[in-house]
Amino acid sequence: MSTSATTTTGANGLRARLGAVNTEAFRLHNAGVVYALFVLVVTLVIATAVTGRPPYLSAINTANVFDQATQVGILAVFMTIVLISGNFDLSIGATGALAAGVTLMTLNHASVWVAILVGLGIGTLVGLVNGLLVQIVGINAFIVTLGALTAVRGVLLILTNGESIVTAKTSLNSLVDGPAPLNLRWTSVAVGAIVVAGGLYMIKRTRDLQRPFDLGAAGAVLAGLALVIVGIAAFPTHWPLTKQVWVLFAVTIVAWFVLSYTAVGRRLYAVGGNTEAARLSGIDIARYKIVPFVLNGFAAAVVGILYAGRFEAINPNALSGIELTVLAAAILGGTSLFGGSGSVVKTVVGALILFVLANGFNILNLGANYQPLIQGLVIVGAAAIYVVAGRRASAQKVRTGEIHDLPSSPDEVERQSVGEPTR
Amino acid sequence: MLELTDITKLFPNGTLALKGVDLTVARRTVHGIVGANGAGKSTLFKIVAGALAPTSGEIRWKGEPADWSSPAAPLAAGISTIYQHIPLVPTLSVLENVFLNDFRGLYARGRLLKRYREMLNRVQYELDPDLRVSELSIGQRQMVAIMHALAHGAELVIMDEPTASLAQGERELVFDTVRRLRDRDDVTFIYCSHFLDEVLSLTDRITVLRDGLVVADEPTAELTEERLVDAMVGKRLASLESLRQRETREDAPALLEVHGLDSPGRVSDVSFTVHEGEIVGLAGLLGSGRSEILHAIFGSDRSAKGSVILRGREIDRSARAAVRSGIALVPEERMRQGLVPDWEIWRNTSLPDLTELSAAGALPTRAREVQRAERAIRDLRIVARSADAPVSSLSGGNAQKVVFAKWLYGNPSVFLLDEPTVGVDVETKAEILELIRRFAREGKGAVVVSSEFEEILAVAHRVLVISRGRIVAERRAAETSEEELLALASGLGAKEGVA
Repeated sequence: MSTSATTTTGANGLRARLGAVNTEAFRLHNAGVVYALFVLVVTLVIATAVTGRPPYLSAINTANVFDQATQVGILAVFMTIVLISGNFDLSIGATGALAAGVTLMTLNHASVWVAILVGLGIGTLVGLVNGLLVQIVGINAFIVTLGALTAVRGVLLILTNGESIVTAKTSLNSLVDGPAPLNLRWTSVAVGAIVVAGGLYMIKRTRDLQRPFDLGAAGAVLAGLALVIVGIAAFPTHWPLTKQVWVLFAVTIVAWFVLSYTAVGRRLYAVGGNTEAARLSGIDIARYKIVPFVLNGFAAAVVGILYAGRFEAINPNALSGIELTVLAAAILGGTSLFGGSGSVVKTVVGALILFVLANGFNILNLGANYQPLIQGLVIVGAAAIYVVAGRRASAQKVRTGEIHDLPSSPDEVERQSVGEPTR
Repeated sequence: MLELTDITKLFPNGTLALKGVDLTVARRTVHGIVGANGAGKSTLFKIVAGALAPTSGEIRWKGEPADWSSPAAPLAAGISTIYQHIPLVPTLSVLENVFLNDFRGLYARGRLLKRYREMLNRVQYELDPDLRVSELSIGQRQMVAIMHALAHGAELVIMDEPTASLAQGERELVFDTVRRLRDRDDVTFIYCSHFLDEVLSLTDRITVLRDGLVVADEPTAELTEERLVDAMVGKRLASLESLRQRETREDAPALLEVHGLDSPGRVSDVSFTVHEGEIVGLAGLLGSGRSEILHAIFGSDRSAKGSVILRGREIDRSARAAVRSGIALVPEERMRQGLVPDWEIWRNTSLPDLTELSAAGALPTRAREVQRAERAIRDLRIVARSADAPVSSLSGGNAQKVVFAKWLYGNPSVFLLDEPTVGVDVETKAEILELIRRFAREGKGAVVVSSEFEEILAVAHRVLVISRGRIVAERRAAETSEEELLALASGLGAKEGVA
């Protein structure tokens, strides 16, 4: 019965904890989406090699996948923020299209910077209206943004009279699109070194805090080393990314940092996890519920402008239905639809899965007709894995005594208060 | 009626929750089961209800061996359990809830109504069948739960902590119903409560569990409250009465002044003052508006008007302003209002003071947060594996201590405490009351709401009696009694005005 982790009291407990290994970061319910991407990519690498097609992981193809995933990826990062806050936003596709339309219309009469500002302003405004209706008036977010989805598209139709808008100016295109290659070899060496240093620091800190050895930190060190070695050995010096992909990288890193390491991020999770408790703890709930909508409207406008910049035109039905792909990416990344949990990095990995899948179908020349079926199965399958693995993880915690499922006996109260070493 | 022989329960994590329990429940009795948190009561009930399988031992129901593998089996055999958090469907009507398991084929309202009236007759109670359960008071919900149990022919009803959140008047109502059903309807009850006076007054026989063993099993008539407590805790606890505050703090400078607090339908014209180092009790029955007063002071009731002045400075009407100026609210429903259940202890305890615990006010420093949580675990004797344990894994009393810990190391000068000891065992209760007294000794103020007037008298210097959202009387704790407070709160003898 009692493994080392069961009876963690007194000196024994200390030893057990020092000897224990925290494998949390690698459990299926935490890292499932990363495994899924890995398996998918390996499958595609093997499949392309066997069928004698060009290598899957070529510089061009990978850059291509990132570029295709950019729009959904950016939107999914901000959708994750909205979902963490406990809300929901369906209006992003329409908002992005409206922002794109307005930007192009303005561009035909004004400078590119004015056009971008107007576009961003429109998107932000839609987000603000959504947020105010949800939080101040108190209408359900699903209903508000469902209405916005239709109404905003309607505004675009009125503005454009149902026709496409084009621009002859190239200034927007040259500003927001075009190649921005990365020297992946030396970047991966630099990033790898930073990851190794971060991992070593985490290991040192967990030791200082007398916490269980974190396998996640060890994994970071190894992954960083691998990145350095593989980078030198195999990565191209010229990775043909587009400017748009850099926007995805930037928003992901900033959002990840804010959510994981700042007080603002912590409060956002608190508001989504238990609004009432957060409110009684003195957190300004309205702000943390409305701002995600505003950011989401802003992000939709950014994507709309990237879209307009790439095609130099916008059809009034552009970006229709993108919100569902965005939600799919967030769900694949394990974001809870009930608020309080989610990770933007995993969301981006989720978006990559969707586009690796699509790209794989193209490369292997499998009928495009099968693609939606597979995508749907992947989404439901991912959700099923999260639920089942999460349930098993908490069951295991009970088994190993990590959770006191039962209220402890008065006897135990005594043991612990006496036996616990004072620090 | 129900016989348990040598029941043991070993959990996969190695906890031996029951170490060989024998229990015989006789027909037409109310059988009390008491024990401190973790004594094994809940495990025992789950086994009887079929939600857990015993590791060894035998259950006999009406003389026949019973092998219950699912909750449906004991239910069909006539055993019904009413848990602490009553699982009714809040959006359905009273009628639909009572007959929830009885819908077959078409919804025959006429027939159900007829059965419902018979049911009301049996329990001698009156309740509109079309009210939604969400509109009912906790006592009324309790009655619905009892009727629900009777509706599917329960012969044994297990009540797990039924009165934890009931006020005095409603408690009597539920008790009368239980007695009537026992005497006239041949229903047997197992009754489990932290309130020993209730168990003593209601039950025919009491079994005391401690550490998974039966340590006493006697007719109620032969037991006293002291003996019960002795058996439960295994040592003598000072009775609450001896802790009564004898002195007053009314000469100390005013700390918190409340003027003309008014919230439509909830609070009307409430004014009072809390002095430095003073604990003020709000004594009121359920639905009297006592919690609402706290929320009105705190600013979490947005429609409340009036002024709240802390150390001479008026505070804006929002929870955020209250927290910033040093008022802390420990809410009644700790999991719903006090904690983020999925979070670790340390993340919860640092939430109100996140800015102070952050580098540059923006980047939370985990080491400091964990340190604070570990200090709280030591100071409050929270039973948890470590500061990393999620609060959802803690027992009720320990979760409540975490809610206290949220405010302990910041700088609140006034604590608004809503039912701080609800659902907590005797020992923890004494610890929490001592904690409140410690705040007062440090010169802080506290406003304590409790259904247990005995507890208010034990901790408060001064008591304000609340009825229908108003203060109807004021008493010094040293100069009043539980009986007087109850009489005042139920609207008797409230002739004296407000001080």
